[in-house]
Amino acid sequence: MLTLKELLITYNHKYNSIMSTYLSNISETLISGKGDELKKLIESAVNDGANPGEILNQGLLPGMDAVGQKWKDGDMFMPEVLRSAKAMSNSMDYLRPMLKEGDMGNAGTMVIGTVAGDLHDIGKDLAAMMFEGAGYKVINLGIDQPGESFVNAVKEHQPNILGMSALLTTTMPRMGEVINSLKEAGIRDQVTVIIGGAPVTEEYAGEIGADLYAPNAGSAVEITNEFLQQAQ
Amino acid sequence: MISRTNYTTQQSPHFEILSENQKERIFNGMMRTLQYTGAHVHHEGARELFKKAGCKIDGITVYFPPELIQQALASAPVVTEIFPWDGDDSKKITIEKKRSYFGPGPTPPNFIDTDTLERRKYLRKDASLVARVCDALPNMGYVQSLGSISDVTNGLADVYEFADMVRNTTTPIMSWSFDRNGCRDIHHMGIAMAGSEEAFRHKPNYVFYGEPISPLVSDFHAIDKCMYCAEHRIPQVYSPCAIGGGTVPASHAGQLVVALSESMVGVIASQLINPGTCVIIGGVQSILDMRCSIYSYGAPELSLLSAALTEMVHYCNLPMYSTAGCTDTKKMDMQSAMEASLSINAAMMSGANFVHDCGYTESGLTGDIFQTVMDDELIGMARIIEQGVEVNEDTLAVDVIHNTGPGGHYLYEDHTMEHFRNHWMPTLMDRNSYEAWEEQGRKTMKDRVIEKTRDLIENHEGPINKVPAKANEEIEKILEQAEERIAQTA
Ligand code: B1M
Repeated sequence: MLTLKELLITYNHKYNSIMSTYLSNISETLISGKGDELKKLIESAVNDGANPGEILNQGLLPGMDAVGQKWKDGDMFMPEVLRSAKAMSNSMDYLRPMLKEGDMGNAGTMVIGTVAGDLHDIGKDLAAMMFEGAGYKVINLGIDQPGESFVNAVKEHQPNILGMSALLTTTMPRMGEVINSLKEAGIRDQVTVIIGGAPVTEEYAGEIGADLYAPNAGSAVEITNEFLQQAQ
Repeated sequence: MISRTNYTTQQSPHFEILSENQKERIFNGMMRTLQYTGAHVHHEGARELFKKAGCKIDGITVYFPPELIQQALASAPVVTEIFPWDGDDSKKITIEKKRSYFGPGPTPPNFIDTDTLERRKYLRKDASLVARVCDALPNMGYVQSLGSISDVTNGLADVYEFADMVRNTTTPIMSWSFDRNGCRDIHHMGIAMAGSEEAFRHKPNYVFYGEPISPLVSDFHAIDKCMYCAEHRIPQVYSPCAIGGGTVPASHAGQLVVALSESMVGVIASQLINPGTCVIIGGVQSILDMRCSIYSYGAPELSLLSAALTEMVHYCNLPMYSTAGCTDTKKMDMQSAMEASLSINAAMMSGANFVHDCGYTESGLTGDIFQTVMDDELIGMARIIEQGVEVNEDTLAVDVIHNTGPGGHYLYEDHTMEHFRNHWMPTLMDRNSYEAWEEQGRKTMKDRVIEKTRDLIENHEGPINKVPAKANEEIEKILEQAEERIAQTA
């Protein structure tokens, strides 16, 4: 006969080993970008009593870190990374209502768009998907967005990040104008502004008063996260 | 002379990528796409035009019936000519199958400064420089600016560019514009150079370049400019920059289907407005590099896709706007030479009509006139291969061989005198002996390219002093009016 204490220990062992199998499976499934499988896995983990915070912090986030590393090392390519990012973002949508205050991963909200007069969208979409993958809730406004649409979106969604993309030297000034409009509306301090696009430079970001510049979509997330951490 | 049936004096060794059956299937893919998926057209006037012609319209989506596509293809011209404004027909462009003209590309934001060799913003003075240098390059059949001017009134880079370039070269220009206003200004400048509207209609002196958006979108300005050109019978390009794996399928056949389909919207619009007006399609066809997320201008896929699309476009009996001579490198180096050599040769062998982007570096973000000068040499070499081997009684030279006999030489032969000048003469490639090379300063290709380019910049004046006073005046007036227009809208 096992004592109650012994029983509890065995149960805990079992529970822990089930959970750790779940978590490592979640990481791996995320890395392989299998969205449907991941969803089922997370649902059954939750049903089996897994802690949503743990799923996020010990399953999903380490998975995304690995994806980031593999991408940097050239072991994963853009479409693969984007699949993982999408799977991550869908998982976040499912988990978000269950997460508690202290649970990390609720990286924040981002509003992103290509500025007025500019119809280039693929770079901006890449950036948006990378942010989604890093746990951000992303509101993608689309291309050719007038200044007020950025300002209104900031008012409405209260994001902590505002991303703007411009691919033309002629439309780059629109980004500075949006920043000025944010100032006029008294909401400039509410958001960290990051900009990007082929002709945009770090120097230009400084000139127009953006907080951050990223040369590519992958680094955009890293640069933003670093900046936010330092700000804290 | 012996006469032969089907006697061809010169057969160009163009290559073919697609079989007849493959072409048919891609063509049908395009027909199906336009009929069932349709294309977005952000222009009420254009949608109205399509509706009247029998298209189904749903919101901004237009569905094109196959017979309308066939009808448009049937009315596009077989031959169009573009005339140098000074009347010198040696630079005349004849747009017809398998005749290739190479040129630089339009609008990158940066330029390699010809003094410092460093990257900087493209300036107004660069447009004249590019025009002047290309004016002197024998293998640049038409000219684009290699940049978008950053130091003029915002919104007028297009108009200033044309104003400056057209006066600095007689080689026909391929222009672009932001919108209909710029398109009209450029047209009026073309008319000023031709002497009258009638003269321009008769002998157009430039080609206009516009772009639909992949996948399957014609934005307002793109189709609006296309319509303007058609209305005024300005020869025009309507072609996308399709990004394989990004804005079009990653499979090459799928990319060809989408690229053809979105261009066809411009073909149909132009032919409905003015049957017989010249419309050229094609564009930049390459892939998204899935590691660096750049649109690659040096990828071998660019050459493969461009050659395959050339076949498709010719299958449609339209002229092809292709891409070559460009690179992903940041500085002139071995990579830029390798990528340009491969793509130029492939474009030449494909028989594309216009081949652009000679001088594009940094994946289309920086224009480099040194690269253009190097490309000019490569085009010369590729042209030799494309000309093939001429076989006739004279070139077979059996008599000369007999007279010289075994063990002799051909250096004194009249036949040699008649033919040796057909051999290609390098202007940049080094064929010196070691000693001569050393004596001349041990120069590398890069040194020689820089030297030649700077020499042209310094010494080739171009036609600036030949521009008729009246044309000059008119152009200045058009620029002033454009400034006023912008000032009013500001
Ligand atoms: C918020 O945080 C961030 C962080 C990072 C961010 C970010 C936001 N946004 C981007 N990034 C960064 O991350 C991404 C990579 O990880 C990168 O994004 P990119 O978007 O740079 O990279 C993409 C993944 C791949 N790259 C691209 O998608 C752009 C490729 C090039 C060839 C290009 C394309 C494809 C197009 N174009 Co256009 N186009 C060019 C481009 C040349 C080039 N090499 O960039 C460029 C930008 N275009 C140019 C021009 C002139 C034009 N284009 C035009 C149109 C188009 C198409 C519509 C045909 C098409 C876009 C289709 C689409 N669905 O997006 C016209 C303008 C239309 C308009 N109003 O916007 C038109 C005016 C051409 C004309 N004559 O009509 C040039 C700009 C010149 C200048 N002075 O600024 C140009 C450099 C080409 C050239 N060499 O001339 C980074 O920049």
